[in-house]
Amino acid sequence: MATDTQEQQQTAGPEPAARPRRGGQGQRRRRFVRRRTRKRCAFCEDKALRIDYKKVDLLQNYLTERGKILPRRATGACARHQRELALAIKRARHLALLPFVTEHIRTS
Amino acid sequence: MPGYELVFIVQPEMEEEPLTKLVEKITETIGDLEGQVHQVEPWGKRRLAYSIKKHREGLYFLMQIELPSSAVRSLERSLKLMEDVIRHLIVRTDETVAK
Repeated sequence: MATDTQEQQQTAGPEPAARPRRGGQGQRRRRFVRRRTRKRCAFCEDKALRIDYKKVDLLQNYLTERGKILPRRATGACARHQRELALAIKRARHLALLPFVTEHIRTS
Repeated sequence: MPGYELVFIVQPEMEEEPLTKLVEKITETIGDLEGQVHQVEPWGKRRLAYSIKKHREGLYFLMQIELPSSAVRSLERSLKLMEDVIRHLIVRTDETVAK
């Protein structure tokens, strides 16, 4: 699926070292720069922020445009909280609070 | 008795009166299973993220309940048998068990 790979490129966290682009003007290589400090887990930072399958607005931030769960490298969540997030999203999906697949993509 | 959270979705064409009856019936079922309903929180009509049984909307209800753990399956079974309930979820709430 061509569109699928496109999305993955969009959502991948740190930009991988750019391959020389074909057909572009000039060769602008973007260098891979590692973040100085790793992004801290938002849920460890703020203990009051609970992961709950009912908080649709919160969970929405952790989905791609197509409704897939974002990987850890994109969310910055620690292992435990990523696990909790995934579970909450799956529960929300069961209750049709969140989509399994986004509407416009399914119908096309 | 452990605490649970019950969310169920009722099909959207339900009128006011049978709706309250249905909620009562569920409350009764929980009572029959020696459970207790602590709180009922209607969320109202919401758009479903995808259609369930051809319905694009649903009436959501959240209940905080207490139930003997052995009775969860029978509650789940009776919810499945109610045709107007198009989806439900029962989740344990007490944190001590969850962690």
